[in-house]
Amino acid sequence: MSATVAAGPEAAARPRIRASRWQVVEYQLYVGRRIWRTMFVVGVGTPLAYVLALGVGLGTVVDNNGNTLGVPYIVYVAPAFLTAAALQIAAADTAFPIMAGFKWIRTFHGMAATPLTATQICDGQLLWVALRIFANSAVYLGIMAAFGGTERWWVLLTIPVATLTAMAFAAPIAALAATLENEGNAFNMVFRFVVTPMFLFSGTFYPISQLPQWGQDLAYISPLWHGTMLARGAAIGHLGALPALGHVAYLLAWLVPGIAVARWRFAVRISK
Amino acid sequence: MIYGRNFRPRRLLPFPLVTTPTPRGQVDTLTRSSADPLIHARGLTKTFGTFTAVDGIDFAVPRGEAFGFLGPNGAGKSSTMRMIACVAPITSGSLRILGMDPATQGPAIRGRLGVVPQQDTLDLELTVRENLYIYGRYFGLSRSVLRGKVEELMDFAQLSDRADAKVEPLSGGMKRRLTIARSLINDPEILLLDEPTTGLDPQARHVLWDRLYRLKQQGVTLVLTTHYMDEAEQLCDRLVVMDGGRIVAEGSPQQLIAEHSTREVAELRFPPGENAAAAERVSALLDPASERAEVLPDRVLLYVADGERMLARAHEQGLAPISSLVRRSSLEDVFLRLTGRSLVD
Repeated sequence: MSATVAAGPEAAARPRIRASRWQVVEYQLYVGRRIWRTMFVVGVGTPLAYVLALGVGLGTVVDNNGNTLGVPYIVYVAPAFLTAAALQIAAADTAFPIMAGFKWIRTFHGMAATPLTATQICDGQLLWVALRIFANSAVYLGIMAAFGGTERWWVLLTIPVATLTAMAFAAPIAALAATLENEGNAFNMVFRFVVTPMFLFSGTFYPISQLPQWGQDLAYISPLWHGTMLARGAAIGHLGALPALGHVAYLLAWLVPGIAVARWRFAVRISK
Repeated sequence: MIYGRNFRPRRLLPFPLVTTPTPRGQVDTLTRSSADPLIHARGLTKTFGTFTAVDGIDFAVPRGEAFGFLGPNGAGKSSTMRMIACVAPITSGSLRILGMDPATQGPAIRGRLGVVPQQDTLDLELTVRENLYIYGRYFGLSRSVLRGKVEELMDFAQLSDRADAKVEPLSGGMKRRLTIARSLINDPEILLLDEPTTGLDPQARHVLWDRLYRLKQQGVTLVLTTHYMDEAEQLCDRLVVMDGGRIVAEGSPQQLIAEHSTREVAELRFPPGENAAAAERVSALLDPASERAEVLPDRVLLYVADGERMLARAHEQGLAPISSLVRRSSLEDVFLRLTGRSLVD
């Protein structure tokens, strides 16, 4: 993971400089120590609210009125919530902290004066978000399990699935955040017109076959739908290997170019 | 030039290191490379679109020197500094730092530089100690090395009693000292300071100058930009004056004063509206080869070899200024001479 930098003519005499993206993660851990309360409230409060209100509350109504999904509604809906929450938190955690790092508190400019490269700074930032999402998803799953929202061990796969889905969407957001020069109004647009509709039209609450054709087409584009299909497949077990691979491939098709563009935008912004 | 200065392997700080001495302290890197400048620029150019910020400048900074870039806003100082810091790529020309090419060896060079940017990039949410520690980690320094180093630097920056305070509420001077302390975490061979004291009160500036002077005494090569002439005179062995992306003068502060100004300046203040006429009369007394007069709205400046004598002769001519003073020429006179009095931005 770490890039060892070859020092100059006196390399033998100087300690080797080992700058790595993990040092950016370490920095975020220090910052995170200051805001752990917020992270705790988001990490535990959100799943509790969703699982209780919609999984247990709405689930009872659905299950008592001829549930045709084949599993209790909470088992159907909870993995989708987990994935959607991962994506939303990742989007917010990428957008504003990266904007702040360039514009408000300028920490990335400080990092850029050290052996760290733009790519390492970008990767470290994304890695931190991914780790946080992974941990959040594990907590979410624990809460799901506590309320009877899990049926089999395969459901553990929802954690990496949610992390992949979240980062597939967060990587392009990181690129946008590194590009924006203004106060980030574009993010309000993204959250209002992309993130929220995505939550509503990605088969979170019901199968997208219930949607008109245009709604289904939108869902196919949405990374959240692909992530939801994977997570639900892991939780319930109806998903074939080939469709699963297709969903993973689609998410990677967002993630890999997303990271490439984000690295490029970080490099451009730092050298400005 | 001070190539001949007697370099010794140095410690960063005047007191013994708590931790094991850095390997650099054991090798004599200085005799090996003291003939090669640490920073060497030829035709260095930086353009942004059609705007040329730095227009083909040449300079070299030998080890141990305190080198200054002076110039009005927009002269290209900060762009030059960002290229030396291996953060912004050069557009054309050549730049070598520590014998390396910034385009291909940026991380290796940055590992041996300290950078004090114009705007602080401290993390306000973290404590003084955490800011230093985390920054050291970016250089790949181990936790055990940093433990001692952080304490030393807090002491150096007179921030030990604020070690566990958050940075946010600290004064501007304290933040600036922390930024300088942070830039020293990797024992840099070159310290780049972009307007280090802008916005600070006089007390804070003097404390900073004292710290920078101590670093210079220890052999750290300082490269700084400033538009404070007193700062340049205090700190710089040699400086260049930049204007419009070009270097318009180069030398030690004394050399620049000798070359571009006179020994003394007599300032004669006449009633408003009479300054121009008075200047005309007094001009006849000047040595046209080396002396000159400058008319400002409220006074006449006479750049002369002997100010008192000139003043006496002006009185003999029947000129009666409201007030007058004679002073030594300063770098500020040189600066205004070379870059003009009109605002550029």
